[in-house]
Amino acid sequence: MVPAVLGLLASFTTYDPFGSPIRFVGFANYLSVLRDPTFTAAARNIAVFTLVAVPLELGIGFALAYLLRGPMPGRELCRVLLLVPWLVSPIGGGVMWHFLFGSATGIPDYIAGWIGQTEVPSPLGDVRLALPTTVAIEVWRMAPLVGFLLLPGLTAIPRERWDLATLDGAPLMRRVTEVALPPLGPLLLAITMLLVGFALGTFDAVLILTGGGPGTATETPALYSYQAAFGANDWHRSGAAAWLVAAGVLAIGFIYLRLSQASRRA
Amino acid sequence: MRASFKLQAIRFALVVIALIAFLSPIAWTLLASVGFQPDNNTSPPSWKGSLTFENFADVGIAEPSFWAELATSAASAVCASALTVCASLPAAYGLARSRFHGHRLLSQGFLVLATLPAMAYVIPLSDLIRRLHLVDTFVGLVLTESAVTAPLAIYVLQGAIRQLAPEWEEAAWLEGAALWRILIRIVLPVAAPAAAATALILFVLDWNLLIVPLVLTSGELKTLPVAMSDFFTFERELEWPTAAAALTISLAPVVVLVAVFHGVLDQFATGIGSHD
Repeated sequence: MVPAVLGLLASFTTYDPFGSPIRFVGFANYLSVLRDPTFTAAARNIAVFTLVAVPLELGIGFALAYLLRGPMPGRELCRVLLLVPWLVSPIGGGVMWHFLFGSATGIPDYIAGWIGQTEVPSPLGDVRLALPTTVAIEVWRMAPLVGFLLLPGLTAIPRERWDLATLDGAPLMRRVTEVALPPLGPLLLAITMLLVGFALGTFDAVLILTGGGPGTATETPALYSYQAAFGANDWHRSGAAAWLVAAGVLAIGFIYLRLSQASRRA
Repeated sequence: MRASFKLQAIRFALVVIALIAFLSPIAWTLLASVGFQPDNNTSPPSWKGSLTFENFADVGIAEPSFWAELATSAASAVCASALTVCASLPAAYGLARSRFHGHRLLSQGFLVLATLPAMAYVIPLSDLIRRLHLVDTFVGLVLTESAVTAPLAIYVLQGAIRQLAPEWEEAAWLEGAALWRILIRIVLPVAAPAAAATALILFVLDWNLLIVPLVLTSGELKTLPVAMSDFFTFERELEWPTAAAALTISLAPVVVLVAVFHGVLDQFATGIGSHD
């Protein structure tokens, strides 16, 4: 907690970790960040990233848990395997996908080979494809984890309730929203909070995959903050950018708190 | 009966397809690490290579301190996750059993804190650690890793404790038992699965942490993610089979841990979801 508060205070000053005199500068650091076109591109990217990745993670995760909810041969094994992509660190995942998209060793080339194509350029080098690709990699890492987390709650719903809804002739979507969502509500809300919070702070995977490029196609605010601090040694810009991300997380957190209070009263 | 059998088969097929899709990148990496790579010059593509463990030895050549970094990662993640769980358990217990106004808000606030981006606090944190003369020390690494993961631990553990019936504790209170005795004798035994699940998840998080160990160390003490990111940010050459071997080694411990202890992990999901 204390470093976080210090970090917030420091973002309004000329603080740096080398002991230069500290002056209060108000919102100057924030203004210089907000005027930087790289940062605005990063803010737009992270909004797209979060808005696309989180619903996909929740949807695919729920579908996986839904498929695995009943008894099935090898169910325990499947459950453990769901966790494996998440066990790869963001850095490790970045390294892995960097090579897997590279030619000659990669998956896209192998698949293309089967349909008679020869070489696929890495989508990470393409201005239009780079951001969707980083989203896909994030979904690959997190969606099975969501499935794993939802599974116990989904399994705990008695079979009869599904059967009743089926007898009523409710279509699949209605069965899901009426039978599964009420008991899973708080869990889903908390998972969504975690996914959104982590997505907003995304940077280590992107750092390895693209370094924010090509151009600013995959720049994220957290990566911007990292590069400002460790690339340009501009600690003021770094702190301000990081706290803009944190403000986003806190705003989402506030909505989450309101929603969970409301769902408890309902 | 036939219809439900058919449905079962479809379900099974979908699960298998999904797992293949999610796991093929990892299979690709494992195969490359033991010497097998696809050959796209033939039509249709084929696999070439023969079983070898040389790539694992090459990791130590490309990064001479790799094995020391592996040891640092393992030791710091074990110590940090254990420390966090021990320190968070009393806090979580206090929150779970408290009735003051706003305790719910406080406990859910910990979930929000858990997702705060690391860049927002690492620089003052590193300053603090330097003033304590703990830069590049194992103690500094463990303390910060555990501080960073503590909010998530408190949130999950208090959700899990809330599920437990309070009667035994109340009986012990009435008999005048001390708080620490209640915690150790009554709460810990029933909360043990949740504590183990939390420790396991925290271990994985600590194991994969990048920015915090990166800022706290100046190169003498490194964890695996820091070493891996160094390779790429300084653009040193690394062959794919060697990188694949390094990835395999860094993934193996967490996979083994999760495979062995997966039984308790349900508790983690329960802890996240039960806050009402």
